[in-house]
Amino acid sequence: MLESTKFIISKLSRDRTSLVGAFLLIALVLIAIFAPVLAPYPEDVTEFHPPERLFGPSMLHFFGTDRMGSDIFSRMLFGARITIAIAVIAVGVSVLVGVPIGLIAGYNRSWISDGLMRISDIFLAVPQIILAIAIAQTLGPSIENVILALSATYWPFWARLVYAETRSALTETYVEASIALGASPFRVMVFHVLPNISSSIIVRTTIGMGGTILTAAALGFLGLGPPAPSPEWGRTIAESREFLPEAWWYATAPGVAIFLVVMGFNLFGDGLRDILDPRTRRSNDG
Amino acid sequence: MKHFKTFKALMLSVALTAMSLVGIPTDGMAKSKFVFANSSPYDTLDPHVIYDVGRVASRLNMYDGLMRWLDNPPKLTPWLAESYNISADGKTYTFKLRKGATFHDGSPVEAKDVVYSIERILALKKGAFSLFSKSIEPGSTKAPDSHTVVFNLKTASSIFLATVPAIHVVNSDLLKSKEVNGDWGGVWLSKNEAGSGSFELTRYDPAIGFQAKRYADHFMGWGDKYLDEIEFRTVKEINSRVLGLMNGDFHGTDGYLPQDQVKRLKADGNMYVLEEESMRIFYSIIHNGRKPFDDVNLRKALSHAFDYDSFIDNILSGSVARNPVPVPNNIWGNPKGEKGYTFDLEKAKAYLAKVKGPIPEITIGALTGYGQTEQAAALLQNGLSKIGVKSKIVSEPWSVASKKMRDEQQMYDMLWLWRSTYYADPNNWVGEMYACDQVGARNNSWYCDPEVDKLLMEARVEPDQAKRAANYEKAAKMVTDDAGGIFVYNTKWFGPYNKKVKGVRFSPIGNAQEMRWVHME
Repeated sequence: MLESTKFIISKLSRDRTSLVGAFLLIALVLIAIFAPVLAPYPEDVTEFHPPERLFGPSMLHFFGTDRMGSDIFSRMLFGARITIAIAVIAVGVSVLVGVPIGLIAGYNRSWISDGLMRISDIFLAVPQIILAIAIAQTLGPSIENVILALSATYWPFWARLVYAETRSALTETYVEASIALGASPFRVMVFHVLPNISSSIIVRTTIGMGGTILTAAALGFLGLGPPAPSPEWGRTIAESREFLPEAWWYATAPGVAIFLVVMGFNLFGDGLRDILDPRTRRSNDG
Repeated sequence: MKHFKTFKALMLSVALTAMSLVGIPTDGMAKSKFVFANSSPYDTLDPHVIYDVGRVASRLNMYDGLMRWLDNPPKLTPWLAESYNISADGKTYTFKLRKGATFHDGSPVEAKDVVYSIERILALKKGAFSLFSKSIEPGSTKAPDSHTVVFNLKTASSIFLATVPAIHVVNSDLLKSKEVNGDWGGVWLSKNEAGSGSFELTRYDPAIGFQAKRYADHFMGWGDKYLDEIEFRTVKEINSRVLGLMNGDFHGTDGYLPQDQVKRLKADGNMYVLEEESMRIFYSIIHNGRKPFDDVNLRKALSHAFDYDSFIDNILSGSVARNPVPVPNNIWGNPKGEKGYTFDLEKAKAYLAKVKGPIPEITIGALTGYGQTEQAAALLQNGLSKIGVKSKIVSEPWSVASKKMRDEQQMYDMLWLWRSTYYADPNNWVGEMYACDQVGARNNSWYCDPEVDKLLMEARVEPDQAKRAANYEKAAKMVTDDAGGIFVYNTKWFGPYNKKVKGVRFSPIGNAQEMRWVHME
């Protein structure tokens, strides 16, 4: 295990683009953890200074101030926490739901398999963002409901992936051997199939994070995310529309933040895929 | 270089030919068309199922009423009616109709159409229904001859005349021919028009808006300057509306844009901005029917926890005037000199200490897409947190909030919104907002105080305006002392128009969206 981790790190360190991705993600995590220390005005998440509203970027306010006179830079740092929480929990739940369903459906060759896959097909047939909007709108705007909406619409991607991978793993000799030795289906699935398909799951999860953050921001933008005065990035962009183009910094700061984080996940995910999943490797990577 | 010139000439001629082929009119032969960018969608054109400000243009431009509110301060003017007569007991209203008024299909506007229209409102139970449901019995309105309409009210009503403009007269013969399963022609009328108004419908798409052309035979006649066509297009995004105005795609939009955008439009050479004092108060509903909000001390604490000056002077750049009572400053019935509440956390704490029992987390409602309501909610939340009261903000679209407002259980603890002018009478504000008989309909505070209600009910039947004014002043003061809601400001209207647009006539009812006096230069 240690060997393979070392291998991954040494491979990654030679891939400049995924290093950039990794750097962005580490920065995001650090920012989220140390937001109260890094933010020049940590109280501005809930505190307002209306006389100072819509000030441009300056040394006092790196990204300017918003419609309530709060420091946008400080709010963006705290917004990172919400973004991470939404992405990690939503993707985590999707993995926890999607992977077992994919494993069971892939291992079984009965009606259970068909049933599970058809259910996931139904979810995949509706565009994810539209389904998420419908769920979040019905349940009312809040962080919890965004997470719920994202998880409910995201798990089929993992179920599909794990299903396909499991089906191909079942033809491998080591699986046949363990079945011949009398291993239980659970044992085969969890101890033989799962470890061998984990690399695809990790890659899918990393890239999926980026997509989740984008969808979460879209929900926030539409007013279905956490309500005001939450510093959630998508919501901040929605708020800023009234003040464009004069207060350009207001929309720019959260826009750039979302862009960097999504790019970070994608670059890092691409790098991971090249190492862990050589079949789908980028062509220029030799 | 020479080649380039030849090329330019060639391109020019190609462009001109193309323009003549596709029929883009050049100056001089152009028909004048006014395009208005509207923030809310026209999801129905039926004048009897809606009664809001966002979709007022379809009613004002394609339909007429017996009376109409004009100008600012609003004057109630006979419109389809030539004259009217009120019986001594205040129960019988007789309107004489103008001769020569015709619907868009050429048939005359007659008394039976007016009768049909009020019956239709009473039957559909939507739109302006609640204005008439208490005073008019179905079947009680009569047409003794083709040009006389008699309304027989159940009780005397001093606000009836003010609400007559809401009875938009529809072509009864036409609608009866379109009726399906007793729907009063509702399905057909939601997408078509059966009016006599200044403009007749030419195109309608719920997703885009409506277009109409001038009705040359309108009974009010036309001067020598008018618009040939009007279009009311739905443009939800504020920035799209402002940019469209600046580059000439739109000629006007609503007058309640954020001040930052008004400044931008004022600075633009192609635009001008009309300013009028409107009647549209901004306030927060408090759910008086829910514990612990039935405690006046808590309501007073809430009223002292809102930073009025910061909101008006900073967030709204001083573009509005403080209006501390539930009646606009610029209408009779407003208690002059009333100071209302100030932002004072010490007082708030003192009142809070008197509240018995624990205070739960307060749900503050705001309207998605209306930044001001969210900013007010956030400002209140900030004040509340300083006096140790927890709150959460729920921002939902108007379509959701307006349904919850009518349900005692679903209603938020508080909700920020505006109260616009539906008719220029104090009853439109305090008289509906805090009357017991409007609870759950137009009183969304579940506020019902017997003393206040007595004043309001007296004022609703009293014919003498001076006496009515005294009652409304007293009632408004009592509701304010009782902190029935948090009353913040009265709006000014900033109507942005293209420099070519002349003749805009503003009234708080309709916000200058009636286009018959407008023309292009």
